[in-house]
Amino acid sequence: MERVVVSMQDPDQGVKMRSQRLLFTVIPHTVAGSNVVEWLIQKYCISEEEALHLGTLLVRHGYLYPLCDPHNLVLRPDDTPYRFQTPYFWTSTLWPAAELDYAIYLAKKNIRKQGALVGHEKEHYGQLHRMISHAWDLVLMQAREQLRAAKQRRKGDRLVIACQEQTYWLVNRPPPGVPSVLEWGPERSSCSAGPAQMTKNPDFYKQEMERCRKALARARVKSSVCLEAYLKFTSQRGPHDPIMSGCLPSNPWVTGDDTYWTMNAPSVAVPTRLRVQRWGFSFQELLEDPVGRSHFMDFLGTEFSGEKPAALLEAPRGGRGQDQDEVRQGGCSGESCLHQASPLDPSKLLPAILTHTGRVRLGTSLTILLEEWASTEAEGHQRP
Amino acid sequence: MAREECKALLDALNKTTACYHHLVLTVGGSADSQNLREELQKTRHKAQELAVAIRAPLTAALRDRSLAAEERAEFERLWVSFSGCLDLLEADMRRALALGTAFPLHTPRRPLVRTGVAGDSAGVAARALSARSLRHEAGGDFDVADLSVLEREILQVSEMIHDMEMKVNVPRWTVQARQTAGAELLSSASAGSMGGASVQERTRPCDVSKALAATVFSAVLLAAVALAISVAKLS
Repeated sequence: MERVVVSMQDPDQGVKMRSQRLLFTVIPHTVAGSNVVEWLIQKYCISEEEALHLGTLLVRHGYLYPLCDPHNLVLRPDDTPYRFQTPYFWTSTLWPAAELDYAIYLAKKNIRKQGALVGHEKEHYGQLHRMISHAWDLVLMQAREQLRAAKQRRKGDRLVIACQEQTYWLVNRPPPGVPSVLEWGPERSSCSAGPAQMTKNPDFYKQEMERCRKALARARVKSSVCLEAYLKFTSQRGPHDPIMSGCLPSNPWVTGDDTYWTMNAPSVAVPTRLRVQRWGFSFQELLEDPVGRSHFMDFLGTEFSGEKPAALLEAPRGGRGQDQDEVRQGGCSGESCLHQASPLDPSKLLPAILTHTGRVRLGTSLTILLEEWASTEAEGHQRP
Repeated sequence: MAREECKALLDALNKTTACYHHLVLTVGGSADSQNLREELQKTRHKAQELAVAIRAPLTAALRDRSLAAEERAEFERLWVSFSGCLDLLEADMRRALALGTAFPLHTPRRPLVRTGVAGDSAGVAARALSARSLRHEAGGDFDVADLSVLEREILQVSEMIHDMEMKVNVPRWTVQARQTAGAELLSSASAGSMGGASVQERTRPCDVSKALAATVFSAVLLAAVALAISVAKLS
């Protein structure tokens, strides 16, 4: 905003200024609200509504202040006079408005108005006196001296400086009922009303207790274990990632040749070597790939009867979150070894299949990979 | 007596800090000029001299363990006012540096903000320096050269404050100020009348036309009454 204000000061292209005529003094550098709006429209090529809104924001943040009604910080697009705020009091500097300064200002006002402070200012005065009573000597000394220093200036300057300070404190310590532009916008005040509306009744606290208890009971994994697993994952999957290790024969996005996609289509006659390798990583990968799944179904069909393996396959796909009981009910109740192995535990399932059948008549690559996978899974399950 | 001296010096420092604050308010505005920057420099030099002059006796008095209780309380009060004054001075000096850098006086790209303050601040500076009048001798590039000096002085003042805090341990919350809330109203009878006039001035700027009309009307009315009386006397 300060850039807007500074560009308004340009002697050739800035806003037109007039002088304010008081009874005995003339104070220059007054600008009418309509001039401000016109200048904004012309400089930034915006609509009148937007210019008015922008102008009001400037006034509410204290860069301009109205001369007739200083407590009402709005921009009126008519002849109401405004004046610019001195850079010392600009809000863009983000200099904190200290309590000591506010106390000095209130003391000065108290002296000038002979004790007739406005309601909220009286309250603040009392509050400040309680908070910084040890520095009250300094507050009063400074207040008196600042007033005496101001008397050395001519009347017009004194008025202007007093108005400037008043505007600064209206922006930084707004009277009750006026939203403070510096911290809370209109939307934020409604957000802060949200949590306050939740009634703090016993149910709320019971929910909180439950939530905290669950959070305490949550299983935690040591970061060393997590990171090892993460490293293993990335090293295992690295060669399969098209971005990290490139994709053969060529990246379709780059060369426009879609051989890669046809070779890796969901149901293709001959799966690529990388794909088959991926089946070895985990049971889930095998089952999620349609080609792998069909291979596996064929294998089970040749070794066992058709329906039970199918039903067995459905059970592990229920996922680990499901209850053990539900899955067992859905599982088979036939073959002894299969029945003993819990359906949710593929690590025990596959070795069982392999030992039970003895010879496995499958494609060699699939067998080897299944064995490998089974051993790694067993290892993984033994870890805590 | 050391206490009276310290009090007098503290009053002078207070006056100088208040004047400095008043001058810094106008930096960047329409009253900004080489003269103002020179006045700022002179004022802050004076403030620093006073601060150095107060620091030694005050520190010595507070480190003196053989002091009576009320004397010590009095010195602690002075100490709190002194450190508060120095904090205000340092804050104003930092702001003056920021504003002086942001609003250099001779670049046409960044014109000064037209704030309506047009008068001279020599009176304020003269009050700060306790001089009758002020002579301005600054060259054209004074403001730019002054900024580096100002930076060094800010560092000096913050060092002084830090030093003071380290040497003397005065817990501020135990200090009872001499003056209470509202004490300013008791001794401000003369200030009040001046203030009353300015307050009324401020609330009336927009009714100028009405005031003019009222005065013209009353003048006409008086003239008419005078004419009527003279006609009545003649007849």
